[in-house]
Amino acid sequence: MRRWPAIVVAGICLGTLLAGAAMAPEHLSQPVMDLAYASPSELAPFGADNRGRPLLEYATQGARVVAMPAITAGLLVMLLGIFGGLLRCMASAQANTWIQGLSEVLGALPRMVVILVVALVLPPESRGLMPMAVAWALLSAPGAMDEASAVAGRLGGARFVEALRAHGYTAARIFGYHVVLLNLRPVVVRQGAEVMMQVVFLEIALSYLALAEDQPSFTHPDSLKSWADLLNIGYPSLVLEGVPTQHALWLGLVLVGLIAVMALSVGRAARAR
Amino acid sequence: MKQWWLRPGVRVVAALLLPFAVPAIITALIWALPGDPASIICPPENCGGTEILAKRWGLDQGPVAFFVGWVQDALQGDFRNSWRLQMGVPVAELLWEAVPKTAMLLAVALVPVGIGAVSGSTGVLPRVLDPLLYVVGLVPAVVLGLIAAAMVELSYGVASFEAEGELARLLAGAAVLGLADGAFSGAVTGTRGLVRAEATQRYVGVAVLRGEATLSNMLPNVALALAGQLRARAIHLLSGAVVVEVILRINGLGDLLWGGTLLQDFGVVLAAATGFAVLSSALLLAQALVEVMVALHIRRSPSLGASA
Repeated sequence: MRRWPAIVVAGICLGTLLAGAAMAPEHLSQPVMDLAYASPSELAPFGADNRGRPLLEYATQGARVVAMPAITAGLLVMLLGIFGGLLRCMASAQANTWIQGLSEVLGALPRMVVILVVALVLPPESRGLMPMAVAWALLSAPGAMDEASAVAGRLGGARFVEALRAHGYTAARIFGYHVVLLNLRPVVVRQGAEVMMQVVFLEIALSYLALAEDQPSFTHPDSLKSWADLLNIGYPSLVLEGVPTQHALWLGLVLVGLIAVMALSVGRAARAR
Repeated sequence: MKQWWLRPGVRVVAALLLPFAVPAIITALIWALPGDPASIICPPENCGGTEILAKRWGLDQGPVAFFVGWVQDALQGDFRNSWRLQMGVPVAELLWEAVPKTAMLLAVALVPVGIGAVSGSTGVLPRVLDPLLYVVGLVPAVVLGLIAAAMVELSYGVASFEAEGELARLLAGAAVLGLADGAFSGAVTGTRGLVRAEATQRYVGVAVLRGEATLSNMLPNVALALAGQLRARAIHLLSGAVVVEVILRINGLGDLLWGGTLLQDFGVVLAAATGFAVLSSALLLAQALVEVMVALHIRRSPSLGASA
């Protein structure tokens, strides 16, 4: 994929997510039983749930739940990835060993186990997706730092920096432009985009699991709906005849696809030359 | 590293410490938070007199006493009783039921991952399929899990909770784990990249000229990286097992951990997280074993000088 199409697709997906989050109402509309199970043609654009409430509100509230935590996690991983790459360029021979060691230690346990422990120990008033997103980002960061460090190593590390210094370049130009923008960018942006996507999928998974057990979610207050609610509303249409909620399932899947396409295109946009 | 035994040695030490480190960290976290642990685990507005609960749960003696007592009991196979998930039921009973199911799920899920690794390294799957694999790998476990759950429910109906249905759910869960979140595509592309990079080494070309097989020459050199990749993928599968087990109603360790977290059953979470740590330790030990075997193989092989 060339750069511009990828940038346009990424921009559209990210813009849709942020616009949805900004448009999200504080609470769902009052039920209108006449519109129960309304299809998209009956209640534009996405139809209604079993109580006649528009699925558009589910979609926008779900975007609100995930938008900021996912973006924060992505940016955190990008920053730490850049830090890992720069550390390698600063002639810190031991840094790479430490990063690899940290990666091994943090990677020794399944991430979901750590996230659930974080969910357990968080006081009820501090619950939300943000702490889990930050925890997920911190668990993902050593891998990103390791990869960025490897890229910087292939570049020549400290010798590359010395060579550019010999040309009389300033530190800002060497590190900011040549190291980060030209060389680390593809790796750290892809890693950040992947973590963004993973955080969204984490939220959907945690909320769906809570719905499956008929319990409140760890990731958002009860007044908000997650994209997992769309999957939960739509799932019976797969296994029971006469439950007309396929449109909710499809909307949930399209939103999952939107996030995957966004991550893919952001990574491509950063990689393409 | 200069000493060949250092790396596997560190892994063995890490594997031995991990099952103790996990409950220690969880215990420390509970006490590190503001407020008393009993109130954090069960807020007074829900549970009333937390002093009585703290005494019943052994939280009144401080973190060290709690941790030491818990470990001593756990080493004797007693993980104390469930606090809320199945109140009063010994957690050991829940664990003995859950661990084999998760281990089985993981073992079966490693089959597609192994197939992916072999087909990637041998070139059975051509590179033109990479975009397709990548797209399939983007599908999250929760979505594939829902599809698998629907298929099992449609095929078995009410009987899906009988022996045959349970097996079907386990196999469907393993297939989901093996495909979702890039497990299969990562195995294909990861091993292919590794093997192709190694195949460009000069010694492989020399081996070909000498009429030797490339795989047997490369294997000792790529085995360590392959073992590392496989362990990372197995841990990734364990992470996904939490989601898959709950959606497909498999009573495994992930399901137990989720139930404990949801109901703030600290006793169950402590034991289930330790169970995951034990599984992770087993993977660390397996990787250390591969490293030792490779090191011994290299030391037993004839040197270049002798063969010349």
